[in-house]
Amino acid sequence: MHRRLSISEWLALAAFAVLLVLPLAVGAYPMRVATVIFMWAALAGAWNLMAGYAGSVDLGPVFHYGVGGFATAALMLKAGLPFLVSAVLAGVVAMAVAYALGTPTLRLRGAYFAIGTLALAESGKQLALAWDRLVPWFPLTGGSAGVSLPLASGYAVFYYVMLGLMAAVTGGAFWLQHSKFGYGLRAVGENDRLAEASGVDIHRLRRRLYVASAFIIAVTGGAAGYWLSYINAAESFSAAVTFQMVVMTLLGGLGTPFGPVLGAAFLTLVSEFLGTRFVYYYLIVIGAIIVAISLFAPAGLSGVLTLGRRRRVQEAV
Amino acid sequence: MSLLAVRRVTKRFGSLVALNDVEFSLSEHEILGIIGPNGAGKSTLFNVIAGLDTPSEGDVVFRGRSIAGLPPDAVCRLGIAKTFQIPQLFPRLTVAENVLVAALYGRGASLNEARVEAREWLAFVGLADKATLSAETLSIAERRRADLARVLATGAPLILLDENMAGLNQTEVAAAVTLLRKVRERGRTLVVTEHIMRAILGLADRVVVLNYGEKIAEGPPADVMRDATVVKAYLGEAHG
Repeated sequence: MHRRLSISEWLALAAFAVLLVLPLAVGAYPMRVATVIFMWAALAGAWNLMAGYAGSVDLGPVFHYGVGGFATAALMLKAGLPFLVSAVLAGVVAMAVAYALGTPTLRLRGAYFAIGTLALAESGKQLALAWDRLVPWFPLTGGSAGVSLPLASGYAVFYYVMLGLMAAVTGGAFWLQHSKFGYGLRAVGENDRLAEASGVDIHRLRRRLYVASAFIIAVTGGAAGYWLSYINAAESFSAAVTFQMVVMTLLGGLGTPFGPVLGAAFLTLVSEFLGTRFVYYYLIVIGAIIVAISLFAPAGLSGVLTLGRRRRVQEAV
Repeated sequence: MSLLAVRRVTKRFGSLVALNDVEFSLSEHEILGIIGPNGAGKSTLFNVIAGLDTPSEGDVVFRGRSIAGLPPDAVCRLGIAKTFQIPQLFPRLTVAENVLVAALYGRGASLNEARVEAREWLAFVGLADKATLSAETLSIAERRRADLARVLATGAPLILLDENMAGLNQTEVAAAVTLLRKVRERGRTLVVTEHIMRAILGLADRVVVLNYGEKIAEGPPADVMRDATVVKAYLGEAHG
């Protein structure tokens, strides 16, 4: 069925077209900042699919980020594969792991799922730290010293990989708003017992989404590792990555396609701007901004935008 | 062959016996009433049939197939759908989308078919004008009708209504009874639990009476109401 695109979908396509040609027009610094924004938008967007649409608050998404990072490193260093091939294969590895681990954990409801996934990510970190000692014939993670990756030539590849990931996850969110799979997921998110009683196989739907979001997060993790040319277990499995994904999504607007993009752009730009001017105090200011937004605009930045539009419509009527 | 057979079902919660050796069957296009005082086991019986609970003993057979122990979504897709005693909704989906989900997943309809069906069932229960509203804005009586539209949209031939008329006023009860008769005319089979005796008497072809988890009577409503054990269960010793 061909559905006519909504205004926000046209906006998204137009923005994507501009971003595709942006590297022709701007210098290295704006490109670097844009790449950081895309990266966080992809990560937060993947979290938003689970939390905002399927109603499953995952506090361990960084697990897939770490798996993606180390799998990409291993494929590049040991198998000598090129970066893009390694990153995609790492994504597939993460999907398989997510399928196996998701089957039992996704049966947990609400807070139990959140705690379970938080524990999963922490165990992942400990396993990664201990890996080379436990499996000396197949070292992967370099223990606490980490692993160095080959140096990449140029920025463009990261810019476009991160842009592609952000576009995929945003497009996915738009698709969920009008597809059978999306209706099923939103039903699960709203009232899982009623969804089950209406014929929705809630475990299968949740797992399918979990596996898809693991792919996005893992490829992003692989790209981030190659970009920095160094990864270590403590940072690749750090809960700080998870919480940044959560904060950006909530700031931008949970359960909206643009929310994570807005949240990632806002927080990254504010950090860049304040970080260069108030080196010592900028984190305090950012904290205050986050508190202010959650107090005065609980639906996030995109909530503020829709509210504005609704008001204008009401005034017009 | 009967559509549904409940065979010697016992359900225990710890030491509490919620259902004890309950047995009855149901033929197609019938309206069966299940009555009994509070705590008699009506909702547990429904939960066992709909897959929300597994019987401790006994079996539930639907169209010749044992369904005891199947998960609720599988039971729904096989053809048994249940409303909830406290009407449930997907609050932030629209009323039409609430019904749409049931058509998509209960019946396995495509998006286009499901959209058409959702509109039809909403018109059937008299909620066509509320289709685009967010479901959380509905009143209690409207929520019950939306819940009915949802179970109808699953396409399930057997529909379990758990106190679907509780909290309705007299006019609303009369309207609900008329509506349920129309549901039967559409070829569905109904099992109805109810507290409102008058509604059951006018609606059901046959009633099963539960008390403390046991079946104490079964038969045409008028006969059952004259049964001494039933009167005693409802009104106490002095009236018996």
